[in-house]
Amino acid sequence: MAIFNIKKREIECKVVYYGPGRCGKTTNLEYIFKSYKKQVEGEMVSINTEGDRTLFFDFLPMELGKIKGCDVRVQLFTVPGQVQYSSTRKLVLKGVDGVVFVADSLDVRREKNMTSLKDLQKNLKEYGLNIFKIPLVIQYNKRDLQDEGLPVMSVEKMEKDLNRQLKAPSFAASAVSGDGVGKTLQECMKLTLQALHRQFNWSKEDNG
Amino acid sequence: MNKRIKTLLKQAEVYKKQGLLEDAKVEYKIVAKLIQNSENIQNKDKLLSAVSKKIAALARHAEVVASAPTTPEMSEHVNVLIKKLFSFSKDNKNVSKEEADLEGAIALAKFGQFDAALKEFERLLSSASARLPAAKNILRCHVTVDSSDLAFAQLDRWKSEDLFSTEQNETLRTFLEGLLEKKKIKKGPKPAEVPSPEKEEDAVGGQPPEPETITEEDEEAEDISEIENEKDDSDEEFLDISAVAINFDSGPHAGEQVELDVSFQSGNIISLIISSKDESLVKNLKVGSKLDDVHFYSPIAIFRGSGIVSAMTKIASGPKQGDYSLDIKIESI
Repeated sequence: MAIFNIKKREIECKVVYYGPGRCGKTTNLEYIFKSYKKQVEGEMVSINTEGDRTLFFDFLPMELGKIKGCDVRVQLFTVPGQVQYSSTRKLVLKGVDGVVFVADSLDVRREKNMTSLKDLQKNLKEYGLNIFKIPLVIQYNKRDLQDEGLPVMSVEKMEKDLNRQLKAPSFAASAVSGDGVGKTLQECMKLTLQALHRQFNWSKEDNG
Repeated sequence: MNKRIKTLLKQAEVYKKQGLLEDAKVEYKIVAKLIQNSENIQNKDKLLSAVSKKIAALARHAEVVASAPTTPEMSEHVNVLIKKLFSFSKDNKNVSKEEADLEGAIALAKFGQFDAALKEFERLLSSASARLPAAKNILRCHVTVDSSDLAFAQLDRWKSEDLFSTEQNETLRTFLEGLLEKKKIKKGPKPAEVPSPEKEEDAVGGQPPEPETITEEDEEAEDISEIENEKDDSDEEFLDISAVAINFDSGPHAGEQVELDVSFQSGNIISLIISSKDESLVKNLKVGSKLDDVHFYSPIAIFRGSGIVSAMTKIASGPKQGDYSLDIKIESI
Protein backbone atom coordinates (compact mmCIF):
# COMPACT_ATOMS: atom_id res chain seq x y z
CA MET A 1 0.00 0.00 0.00
CA ALA A 2 1.48 3.32 -1.06
CA ILE A 3 2.14 5.93 1.58
CA PHE A 4 0.72 9.36 0.86
CA ASN A 5 2.06 12.10 3.09
CA ILE A 6 -0.34 14.96 2.49
CA LYS A 7 1.65 17.50 4.52
CA LYS A 8 4.87 16.84 2.66
CA ARG A 9 3.03 16.26 -0.64
CA GLU A 10 4.97 13.05 -0.96
CA ILE A 11 3.96 9.66 -2.22
CA GLU A 12 5.92 6.44 -1.85
CA CYS A 13 4.96 3.28 -3.69
CA LYS A 14 6.32 -0.23 -4.04
CA VAL A 15 6.93 -2.19 -7.23
CA VAL A 16 7.96 -5.83 -7.01
CA TYR A 17 9.77 -7.81 -9.70
CA TYR A 18 8.44 -11.36 -9.54
CA GLY A 19 9.31 -14.46 -11.55
CA PRO A 20 10.98 -17.86 -11.47
CA GLY A 21 14.53 -18.36 -10.22
CA ARG A 22 17.30 -17.15 -12.54
CA CYS A 23 14.88 -15.33 -14.89
CA GLY A 24 16.72 -12.01 -14.60
CA LYS A 25 14.87 -9.99 -11.94
CA THR A 26 18.08 -8.83 -10.27
CA THR A 27 19.65 -8.11 -13.68
CA ASN A 28 16.69 -5.80 -14.40
CA LEU A 29 17.34 -3.84 -11.22
CA GLU A 30 21.08 -3.76 -11.85
CA TYR A 31 20.48 -2.26 -15.28
CA ILE A 32 18.07 0.32 -13.84
CA PHE A 33 20.60 1.19 -11.14
CA LYS A 34 23.33 1.74 -13.74
CA SER A 35 21.23 3.55 -16.30
CA TYR A 36 18.92 5.78 -14.28
CA LYS A 37 21.51 7.39 -12.01
CA LYS A 38 19.56 10.64 -11.80
CA GLN A 39 16.45 8.95 -10.48
CA VAL A 40 18.17 6.46 -8.19
CA GLU A 41 18.15 7.52 -4.54
CA GLY A 42 21.04 5.84 -2.77
CA GLU A 43 22.47 2.39 -3.28
CA MET A 44 21.02 -0.83 -4.59
CA VAL A 45 20.98 -3.46 -1.87
CA SER A 46 21.22 -7.11 -2.89
CA ILE A 47 20.97 -9.89 -0.39
CA ASN A 48 22.11 -12.94 -2.26
CA THR A 49 23.71 -16.29 -1.66
CA GLU A 50 25.99 -18.78 -3.40
CA GLY A 51 25.79 -18.52 -7.18
CA ASP A 52 24.35 -14.99 -7.00
CA ARG A 53 20.90 -16.29 -6.19
CA THR A 54 18.72 -13.72 -4.46
CA LEU A 55 18.25 -14.89 -0.90
CA PHE A 56 15.92 -12.30 0.62
CA PHE A 57 15.38 -9.48 -1.85
CA ASP A 58 17.03 -6.75 -3.90
CA PHE A 59 16.07 -3.19 -3.10
CA LEU A 60 16.44 -0.06 -5.19
CA PRO A 61 14.88 3.27 -4.15
CA MET A 62 14.07 5.80 -6.89
CA GLU A 63 12.80 9.34 -7.05
CA LEU A 64 10.53 9.93 -10.02
CA GLY A 65 10.01 13.67 -9.75
CA LYS A 66 6.75 15.54 -9.23
CA ILE A 67 3.29 14.47 -10.28
CA LYS A 68 0.43 16.86 -9.47
CA GLY A 69 2.72 18.68 -7.07
CA CYS A 70 3.67 15.53 -5.20
CA ASP A 71 7.15 14.08 -4.96
CA VAL A 72 6.87 10.50 -6.14
CA ARG A 73 9.22 7.91 -4.74
CA VAL A 74 9.23 4.27 -5.74
CA GLN A 75 10.86 1.35 -4.02
CA LEU A 76 11.80 -1.43 -6.42
CA PHE A 77 12.11 -4.91 -4.96
CA THR A 78 12.85 -8.34 -6.35
CA VAL A 79 11.82 -11.58 -4.70
CA PRO A 80 13.88 -14.76 -4.48
CA GLY A 81 12.67 -16.95 -7.33
CA GLN A 82 13.61 -20.40 -6.06
CA VAL A 83 10.56 -22.45 -5.08
CA GLN A 84 11.74 -23.04 -1.51
CA TYR A 85 11.66 -19.33 -0.59
CA SER A 86 7.90 -19.13 -0.71
CA SER A 87 7.48 -17.33 2.63
CA THR A 88 10.11 -14.73 1.78
CA ARG A 89 8.40 -14.02 -1.53
CA LYS A 90 5.14 -13.49 0.28
CA LEU A 91 6.75 -11.20 2.85
CA VAL A 92 8.43 -9.07 0.17
CA LEU A 93 5.17 -8.82 -1.73
CA LYS A 94 3.40 -7.24 1.22
CA GLY A 95 2.16 -3.72 0.51
CA VAL A 96 2.89 -4.01 -3.22
CA ASP A 97 1.43 -1.38 -5.55
CA GLY A 98 2.64 -2.71 -8.90
CA VAL A 99 4.18 -5.93 -10.20
CA VAL A 100 6.57 -6.72 -13.02
CA PHE A 101 6.42 -10.42 -13.83
CA VAL A 102 9.69 -11.43 -15.45
CA ALA A 103 9.32 -14.58 -17.52
CA ASP A 104 12.27 -16.57 -18.81
CA SER A 105 12.13 -17.05 -22.60
CA LEU A 106 14.21 -20.22 -22.54
CA ASP A 107 12.16 -23.20 -23.69
CA VAL A 108 13.33 -25.28 -20.73
CA ARG A 109 11.89 -22.72 -18.28
CA ARG A 110 8.34 -22.81 -19.65
CA GLU A 111 6.77 -24.62 -16.72
CA LYS A 112 8.76 -22.62 -14.16
CA ASN A 113 7.20 -19.45 -15.60
CA MET A 114 3.72 -20.87 -15.25
CA THR A 115 4.33 -22.11 -11.73
CA SER A 116 5.73 -18.76 -10.68
CA LEU A 117 2.77 -16.86 -12.14
CA LYS A 118 0.44 -19.18 -10.26
CA ASP A 119 2.47 -18.53 -7.09
CA LEU A 120 2.13 -14.78 -7.64
CA GLN A 121 -1.63 -15.09 -8.04
CA LYS A 122 -1.85 -17.15 -4.85
CA ASN A 123 0.29 -14.76 -2.80
CA LEU A 124 -1.56 -11.68 -4.04
CA LYS A 125 -4.83 -13.36 -3.18
CA GLU A 126 -3.62 -13.96 0.36
CA TYR A 127 -3.16 -10.19 0.69
CA GLY A 128 -6.64 -9.62 -0.73
CA LEU A 129 -5.27 -8.50 -4.10
CA ASN A 130 -6.49 -9.65 -7.47
CA ILE A 131 -3.95 -10.44 -10.19
CA PHE A 132 -6.42 -9.14 -12.77
CA LYS A 133 -6.74 -5.79 -11.02
CA ILE A 134 -3.27 -5.01 -9.70
CA PRO A 135 -1.01 -2.95 -11.99
CA LEU A 136 0.90 -5.73 -13.74
CA VAL A 137 3.38 -5.81 -16.59
CA ILE A 138 4.85 -8.97 -18.06
CA GLN A 139 8.38 -9.03 -19.39
CA TYR A 140 9.65 -11.78 -21.70
CA ASN A 141 13.31 -11.71 -20.77
CA LYS A 142 16.43 -13.26 -22.32
CA ARG A 143 15.33 -12.65 -25.91
CA ASP A 144 19.03 -12.21 -26.78
CA LEU A 145 19.61 -15.94 -26.32
CA GLN A 146 17.68 -16.56 -29.52
CA ASP A 147 20.56 -14.96 -31.44
CA GLU A 148 22.93 -17.41 -29.80
CA GLY A 149 20.91 -20.26 -31.25
CA LEU A 150 19.38 -21.38 -28.00
CA PRO A 151 15.86 -22.84 -27.88
CA VAL A 152 13.75 -19.82 -26.95
CA MET A 153 9.96 -19.68 -26.93
CA SER A 154 8.25 -17.30 -29.32
CA VAL A 155 6.63 -14.25 -27.76
CA GLU A 156 3.30 -15.50 -29.16
CA LYS A 157 3.69 -18.81 -27.33
CA MET A 158 4.58 -17.03 -24.09
CA GLU A 159 1.61 -14.70 -24.51
CA LYS A 160 -0.61 -17.75 -24.88
CA ASP A 161 0.95 -19.46 -21.87
CA LEU A 162 1.00 -16.53 -19.50
CA ASN A 163 -1.06 -13.66 -20.77
CA ARG A 164 -3.99 -15.24 -22.56
CA GLN A 165 -6.49 -14.07 -19.99
CA LEU A 166 -4.53 -11.50 -18.00
CA LYS A 167 -3.99 -9.34 -21.08
CA ALA A 168 -1.39 -7.33 -19.22
CA PRO A 169 0.97 -5.06 -21.16
CA SER A 170 3.98 -7.14 -22.13
CA PHE A 171 7.48 -6.46 -23.42
CA ALA A 172 10.23 -8.52 -24.96
CA ALA A 173 13.47 -7.76 -23.19
CA SER A 174 17.07 -8.58 -22.60
CA ALA A 175 17.99 -7.40 -19.14
CA VAL A 176 21.71 -8.00 -19.77
CA SER A 177 21.78 -5.48 -22.61
CA GLY A 178 18.97 -3.37 -21.18
CA ASP A 179 16.61 -3.81 -24.12
CA GLY A 180 13.04 -3.47 -22.92
CA VAL A 181 14.02 -2.89 -19.28
CA GLY A 182 13.16 0.81 -19.25
CA LYS A 183 9.93 0.30 -21.20
CA THR A 184 8.83 -2.38 -18.74
CA LEU A 185 9.46 -0.17 -15.74
CA GLN A 186 7.88 2.89 -17.34
CA GLU A 187 4.70 0.97 -18.18
CA CYS A 188 4.50 -0.50 -14.70
CA MET A 189 4.99 2.95 -13.14
CA LYS A 190 2.34 4.40 -15.44
CA LEU A 191 -0.19 1.75 -14.41
CA THR A 192 0.79 2.01 -10.73
CA LEU A 193 0.42 5.79 -10.66
CA GLN A 194 -2.90 5.59 -12.49
CA ALA A 195 -4.11 3.14 -9.84
CA LEU A 196 -2.85 5.40 -7.04
CA HIS A 197 -4.53 8.34 -8.72
CA ARG A 198 -7.83 6.48 -8.48
CA GLN A 199 -7.07 5.31 -4.95
CA PHE A 200 -6.17 8.71 -3.53
CA ASN A 201 -8.63 10.58 -5.69
CA TRP A 202 -6.02 13.17 -6.61
CA SER A 203 -8.31 15.22 -8.80
CA LYS A 204 -10.61 15.81 -5.81
CA GLU A 205 -7.57 16.73 -3.76
CA ASP A 206 -6.63 19.36 -6.36
CA ASN A 207 -10.11 20.84 -6.36
CA GLY A 208 -10.11 20.96 -2.59
CA MET B 1 25.38 -36.16 -35.10
CA ASN B 2 28.44 -34.01 -34.39
CA LYS B 3 26.44 -30.86 -35.02
CA ARG B 4 23.69 -32.01 -32.65
CA ILE B 5 26.22 -32.78 -29.94
CA LYS B 6 27.91 -29.42 -30.39
CA THR B 7 24.55 -27.63 -30.13
CA LEU B 8 23.64 -29.53 -26.97
CA LEU B 9 27.02 -28.80 -25.41
CA LYS B 10 26.63 -25.12 -26.19
CA GLN B 11 23.18 -25.11 -24.62
CA ALA B 12 24.52 -26.87 -21.55
CA GLU B 13 27.27 -24.27 -21.19
CA VAL B 14 24.81 -21.38 -21.47
CA TYR B 15 22.44 -22.96 -18.94
CA LYS B 16 25.37 -23.45 -16.60
CA LYS B 17 26.39 -19.83 -17.03
CA GLN B 18 22.82 -18.80 -16.31
CA GLY B 19 22.83 -20.80 -13.09
CA LEU B 20 20.32 -23.29 -14.50
CA LEU B 21 22.31 -26.23 -13.23
CA GLU B 22 19.60 -28.88 -13.52
CA ASP B 23 18.86 -27.90 -17.10
CA ALA B 24 22.57 -28.00 -17.93
CA LYS B 25 22.82 -31.48 -16.41
CA VAL B 26 19.93 -32.72 -18.56
CA GLU B 27 21.71 -31.50 -21.72
CA TYR B 28 24.99 -33.16 -20.74
CA LYS B 29 23.16 -36.41 -20.04
CA ILE B 30 21.57 -36.32 -23.49
CA VAL B 31 25.01 -35.74 -24.97
CA ALA B 32 26.41 -38.71 -23.05
CA LYS B 33 23.58 -40.92 -24.29
CA LEU B 34 24.08 -39.81 -27.88
CA ILE B 35 27.80 -40.54 -27.70
CA GLN B 36 27.18 -43.93 -26.11
CA ASN B 37 24.67 -44.94 -28.77
CA SER B 38 26.70 -43.70 -31.72
CA GLU B 39 29.04 -46.02 -33.57
CA ASN B 40 30.65 -43.40 -35.75
CA ILE B 41 32.26 -41.27 -33.09
CA GLN B 42 35.97 -41.62 -32.58
CA ASN B 43 37.51 -41.13 -29.12
CA LYS B 44 34.21 -42.23 -27.65
CA ASP B 45 35.67 -43.06 -24.26
CA LYS B 46 37.58 -39.80 -24.06
CA LEU B 47 34.48 -37.81 -24.91
CA LEU B 48 32.32 -39.72 -22.45
CA SER B 49 34.88 -39.14 -19.74
CA ALA B 50 34.91 -35.39 -20.50
CA VAL B 51 31.13 -35.21 -20.33
CA SER B 52 31.09 -37.22 -17.08
CA LYS B 53 33.54 -34.72 -15.61
CA LYS B 54 31.25 -31.87 -16.63
CA ILE B 55 28.29 -33.59 -14.97
CA ALA B 56 30.32 -34.24 -11.82
CA ALA B 57 31.45 -30.59 -11.71
CA LEU B 58 27.83 -29.49 -12.04
CA ALA B 59 26.82 -31.80 -9.21
CA ARG B 60 29.53 -30.30 -7.00
CA HIS B 61 28.42 -26.78 -7.88
CA ALA B 62 24.77 -27.70 -7.14
CA GLU B 63 25.87 -29.12 -3.79
CA VAL B 64 27.65 -25.89 -2.87
CA VAL B 65 24.54 -23.89 -3.82
CA ALA B 66 22.23 -26.22 -1.90
CA SER B 67 24.37 -26.18 1.22
CA ALA B 68 24.79 -22.39 1.34
CA PRO B 69 23.28 -20.94 4.53
CA THR B 70 19.69 -19.87 3.96
CA THR B 71 19.70 -17.32 6.76
CA PRO B 72 23.25 -15.98 7.03
CA GLU B 73 23.91 -13.25 9.55
CA MET B 74 23.48 -9.89 7.88
CA SER B 75 25.35 -6.67 8.47
CA GLU B 76 23.97 -4.03 10.81
CA HIS B 77 23.18 -1.90 7.74
CA VAL B 78 21.04 -4.64 6.17
CA ASN B 79 19.24 -5.31 9.44
CA VAL B 80 18.39 -1.62 9.81
CA LEU B 81 17.08 -1.69 6.25
CA ILE B 82 14.96 -4.79 6.89
CA LYS B 83 13.44 -3.12 9.97
CA LYS B 84 12.72 0.03 8.02
CA LEU B 85 11.32 -1.64 4.91
CA PHE B 86 9.18 -4.22 6.65
CA SER B 87 7.67 -2.24 9.52
CA PHE B 88 4.66 -1.22 7.50
CA SER B 89 3.01 0.74 10.30
CA LYS B 90 5.85 3.18 10.87
CA ASP B 91 4.09 5.92 8.94
CA ASN B 92 0.69 5.22 10.41
CA LYS B 93 -0.08 7.91 12.97
CA ASN B 94 -2.55 5.60 14.72
CA VAL B 95 0.21 3.12 15.51
CA SER B 96 2.66 3.77 18.33
CA LYS B 97 6.41 3.78 17.73
CA GLU B 98 6.78 0.66 19.88
CA GLU B 99 4.25 -1.23 17.81
CA ALA B 100 6.01 -0.24 14.60
CA ASP B 101 9.36 -1.24 16.14
CA LEU B 102 7.85 -4.58 17.09
CA GLU B 103 6.81 -5.08 13.50
CA GLY B 104 10.39 -4.38 12.37
CA ALA B 105 11.76 -6.83 14.92
CA ILE B 106 9.34 -9.51 13.73
CA ALA B 107 10.57 -8.89 10.17
CA LEU B 108 14.15 -9.45 11.35
CA ALA B 109 13.09 -12.77 12.85
CA LYS B 110 11.23 -13.71 9.70
CA PHE B 111 14.42 -13.15 7.73
CA GLY B 112 16.27 -15.41 10.16
CA GLN B 113 18.18 -12.59 11.89
CA PHE B 114 17.43 -14.03 15.30
CA ASP B 115 20.23 -12.39 17.29
CA ALA B 116 19.31 -8.94 16.02
CA ALA B 117 15.61 -9.67 16.50
CA LEU B 118 16.16 -10.86 20.08
CA LYS B 119 18.01 -7.64 20.91
CA GLU B 120 15.06 -5.63 19.61
CA PHE B 121 12.48 -7.72 21.44
CA GLU B 122 14.51 -7.44 24.66
CA ARG B 123 14.55 -3.68 24.26
CA LEU B 124 10.79 -3.63 23.69
CA LEU B 125 10.16 -5.44 26.98
CA SER B 126 10.53 -2.03 28.62
CA SER B 127 7.46 -0.76 26.78
CA ALA B 128 4.20 -1.66 28.51
CA SER B 129 2.22 -1.84 25.28
CA ALA B 130 4.75 -4.03 23.45
CA ARG B 131 5.90 -6.13 26.42
CA LEU B 132 3.69 -9.19 26.04
CA PRO B 133 4.00 -9.55 22.27
CA ALA B 134 7.76 -8.95 22.54
CA ALA B 135 8.01 -11.71 25.15
CA LYS B 136 6.07 -14.13 22.98
CA ASN B 137 8.35 -13.39 20.07
CA ILE B 138 11.43 -13.94 22.27
CA LEU B 139 10.08 -17.38 23.11
CA ARG B 140 9.31 -18.02 19.47
CA CYS B 141 12.87 -17.07 18.45
CA HIS B 142 14.34 -19.47 21.02
CA VAL B 143 12.08 -22.31 19.89
CA THR B 144 12.83 -21.63 16.22
CA VAL B 145 16.56 -21.97 16.82
CA ASP B 146 15.88 -25.10 18.89
CA SER B 147 16.74 -23.52 22.25
CA SER B 148 13.72 -24.70 24.21
CA ASP B 149 15.81 -24.80 27.40
CA LEU B 150 16.63 -21.13 26.94
CA ALA B 151 12.94 -20.41 26.41
CA PHE B 152 12.00 -22.10 29.71
CA ALA B 153 14.88 -20.38 31.52
CA GLN B 154 13.64 -17.08 30.12
CA LEU B 155 10.15 -17.77 31.46
CA ASP B 156 11.58 -18.46 34.93
CA ARG B 157 13.62 -15.28 34.82
CA TRP B 158 10.62 -13.14 33.87
CA LYS B 159 8.64 -14.70 36.69
CA SER B 160 11.36 -14.02 39.24
CA GLU B 161 11.66 -10.44 38.00
CA ASP B 162 7.91 -9.87 38.32
CA LEU B 163 7.87 -8.50 34.84
CA PHE B 164 4.42 -9.92 34.07
CA SER B 165 1.20 -10.49 35.95
CA THR B 166 0.21 -14.02 36.99
CA GLU B 167 -2.20 -14.23 34.09
CA GLN B 168 0.44 -13.04 31.65
CA ASN B 169 2.95 -15.59 32.97
CA GLU B 170 0.38 -18.29 32.42
CA THR B 171 -0.34 -17.00 28.94
CA LEU B 172 3.35 -17.09 28.11
CA ARG B 173 3.74 -20.61 29.47
CA THR B 174 0.75 -21.86 27.47
CA PHE B 175 2.12 -20.09 24.43
CA LEU B 176 5.52 -21.74 24.80
CA GLU B 177 4.01 -25.18 25.31
CA GLY B 178 1.90 -24.70 22.23
CA LEU B 179 4.96 -23.69 20.25
CA LEU B 180 6.86 -26.75 21.40
CA GLU B 181 3.95 -29.01 20.65
CA LYS B 182 3.78 -27.59 17.18
CA LYS B 183 7.49 -27.96 16.63
CA LYS B 184 7.48 -31.38 18.32
CA ILE B 185 10.57 -30.44 20.27
CA LYS B 186 11.24 -32.37 23.44
CA LYS B 187 10.37 -30.03 26.25
CA GLY B 188 13.05 -28.65 28.57
CA PRO B 189 12.80 -28.53 32.33
CA LYS B 190 9.36 -27.62 33.53
CA PRO B 191 9.18 -24.04 34.76
CA ALA B 192 8.36 -23.27 38.35
CA GLU B 193 4.68 -23.78 38.98
CA VAL B 194 2.53 -20.91 37.92
CA PRO B 195 -0.81 -20.65 39.65
CA SER B 196 -3.44 -21.56 37.12
CA PRO B 197 -6.07 -18.91 36.85
CA GLU B 198 -9.02 -19.46 34.58
CA LYS B 199 -7.72 -19.71 31.09
CA GLU B 200 -7.78 -16.31 29.54
CA GLU B 201 -9.19 -16.11 26.04
CA ASP B 202 -6.71 -13.91 24.36
CA ALA B 203 -5.13 -13.81 20.94
CA VAL B 204 -2.97 -16.82 21.60
CA GLY B 205 -3.92 -18.68 24.77
CA GLY B 206 -4.86 -22.30 24.22
CA GLN B 207 -4.61 -21.89 20.46
CA PRO B 208 -1.95 -23.40 18.28
CA PRO B 209 0.97 -20.99 18.62
CA GLU B 210 0.90 -17.91 16.48
CA PRO B 211 3.18 -14.93 16.75
CA GLU B 212 1.68 -12.07 18.66
CA THR B 213 -0.45 -9.88 16.50
CA ILE B 214 -0.16 -6.17 16.72
CA THR B 215 -2.54 -5.15 14.01
CA GLU B 216 -6.01 -6.24 13.12
CA GLU B 217 -4.94 -7.75 9.84
CA ASP B 218 -3.18 -10.65 11.53
CA GLU B 219 -0.10 -9.96 9.55
CA GLU B 220 2.15 -12.10 11.69
CA ALA B 221 0.16 -15.27 11.41
CA GLU B 222 2.99 -16.79 9.45
CA ASP B 223 5.41 -18.88 11.42
CA ILE B 224 8.83 -17.22 11.42
CA SER B 225 10.46 -20.61 11.31
CA GLU B 226 9.00 -21.21 7.89
CA ILE B 227 10.94 -18.51 6.14
CA GLU B 228 13.13 -20.89 4.28
CA ASN B 229 12.81 -24.39 2.97
CA GLU B 230 9.08 -24.14 2.89
CA LYS B 231 7.51 -26.10 0.09
CA ASP B 232 4.40 -24.93 -1.68
CA ASP B 233 1.18 -25.86 0.06
CA SER B 234 -0.05 -29.14 -1.24
CA ASP B 235 -3.63 -28.52 -0.22
CA GLU B 236 -4.04 -25.23 -2.01
CA GLU B 237 -7.39 -24.58 -3.61
CA PHE B 238 -7.83 -25.53 -7.22
CA LEU B 239 -7.78 -22.93 -9.90
CA ASP B 240 -10.76 -22.55 -12.16
CA ILE B 241 -10.11 -24.54 -15.30
CA SER B 242 -11.88 -23.26 -18.41
CA ALA B 243 -10.58 -25.78 -20.95
CA VAL B 244 -8.18 -28.67 -21.32
CA ALA B 245 -5.93 -29.93 -24.09
CA ILE B 246 -5.28 -33.66 -23.89
CA ASN B 247 -2.23 -35.11 -25.61
CA PHE B 248 -2.76 -38.75 -26.55
CA ASP B 249 0.16 -41.12 -26.79
CA SER B 250 -1.84 -44.19 -27.81
CA GLY B 251 -5.12 -45.28 -29.37
CA PRO B 252 -6.85 -43.81 -32.43
CA HIS B 253 -5.78 -40.26 -31.45
CA ALA B 254 -2.13 -41.10 -30.72
CA GLY B 255 0.10 -38.08 -31.29
CA GLU B 256 -2.85 -35.68 -31.39
CA GLN B 257 -3.82 -32.89 -29.04
CA VAL B 258 -7.55 -32.53 -28.44
CA GLU B 259 -8.97 -29.39 -26.85
CA LEU B 260 -12.20 -29.59 -24.87
CA ASP B 261 -14.13 -26.94 -22.94
CA VAL B 262 -14.94 -27.48 -19.29
CA SER B 263 -18.68 -27.40 -18.62
CA PHE B 264 -18.50 -27.70 -14.83
CA GLN B 265 -15.88 -27.90 -12.12
CA SER B 266 -16.08 -29.10 -8.56
CA GLY B 267 -12.76 -28.96 -6.75
CA ASN B 268 -10.36 -31.16 -8.64
CA ILE B 269 -13.04 -32.81 -10.78
CA ILE B 270 -13.79 -31.21 -14.12
CA SER B 271 -16.63 -32.18 -16.45
CA LEU B 272 -16.33 -31.98 -20.22
CA ILE B 273 -18.82 -32.62 -22.98
CA ILE B 274 -17.79 -34.81 -25.90
CA SER B 275 -19.95 -34.70 -28.98
CA SER B 276 -21.55 -37.96 -30.08
CA LYS B 277 -19.74 -37.39 -33.39
CA ASP B 278 -16.43 -38.00 -31.61
CA GLU B 279 -17.08 -41.63 -30.68
CA SER B 280 -13.43 -42.49 -31.35
CA LEU B 281 -12.43 -39.99 -28.66
CA VAL B 282 -14.80 -41.66 -26.22
CA LYS B 283 -13.07 -44.98 -26.94
CA ASN B 284 -9.76 -43.38 -26.05
CA LEU B 285 -11.07 -42.08 -22.74
CA LYS B 286 -12.31 -45.08 -20.80
CA VAL B 287 -12.99 -44.76 -17.07
CA GLY B 288 -9.71 -45.28 -15.25
CA SER B 289 -7.58 -44.09 -18.19
CA LYS B 290 -4.57 -42.16 -16.99
CA LEU B 291 -3.91 -38.91 -18.88
CA ASP B 292 -0.29 -38.08 -18.36
CA ASP B 293 -0.04 -34.98 -20.52
CA VAL B 294 -2.89 -32.53 -20.10
CA HIS B 295 -2.77 -28.75 -20.46
CA PHE B 296 -5.18 -27.13 -18.04
CA TYR B 297 -6.28 -23.67 -19.15
CA SER B 298 -6.92 -21.46 -16.13
CA PRO B 299 -7.84 -17.77 -16.10
CA ILE B 300 -4.23 -16.84 -15.42
CA ALA B 301 -2.19 -19.34 -17.38
CA ILE B 302 -1.96 -22.79 -18.89
CA PHE B 303 -0.64 -25.42 -16.53
CA ARG B 304 0.67 -28.80 -17.52
CA GLY B 305 -0.43 -31.75 -15.43
CA SER B 306 -2.08 -35.12 -15.36
CA GLY B 307 -5.50 -36.54 -14.65
CA ILE B 308 -7.55 -39.68 -14.60
CA VAL B 309 -10.91 -40.34 -16.26
CA SER B 310 -13.23 -40.80 -13.31
CA ALA B 311 -16.63 -41.04 -15.05
CA MET B 312 -18.18 -41.21 -18.52
CA THR B 313 -21.94 -40.90 -18.99
CA LYS B 314 -24.05 -40.76 -22.13
CA ILE B 315 -26.43 -37.83 -21.79
CA ALA B 316 -29.96 -39.25 -21.97
CA SER B 317 -32.05 -36.10 -22.45
CA GLY B 318 -31.96 -32.40 -23.20
CA PRO B 319 -30.19 -30.48 -25.96
CA LYS B 320 -26.99 -32.50 -25.50
CA GLN B 321 -28.78 -35.84 -25.73
CA GLY B 322 -26.51 -38.49 -27.17
CA ASP B 323 -23.33 -36.60 -26.26
CA TYR B 324 -21.03 -37.79 -23.51
CA SER B 325 -20.26 -36.17 -20.17
CA LEU B 326 -16.71 -36.96 -19.15
CA ASP B 327 -15.29 -36.36 -15.69
CA ILE B 328 -11.56 -35.98 -15.21
CA LYS B 329 -10.00 -35.97 -11.79
CA ILE B 330 -6.99 -33.66 -11.76
CA GLU B 331 -4.07 -35.54 -10.26
CA SER B 332 -1.36 -32.97 -10.61
CA ILE B 333 -1.23 -29.46 -11.94
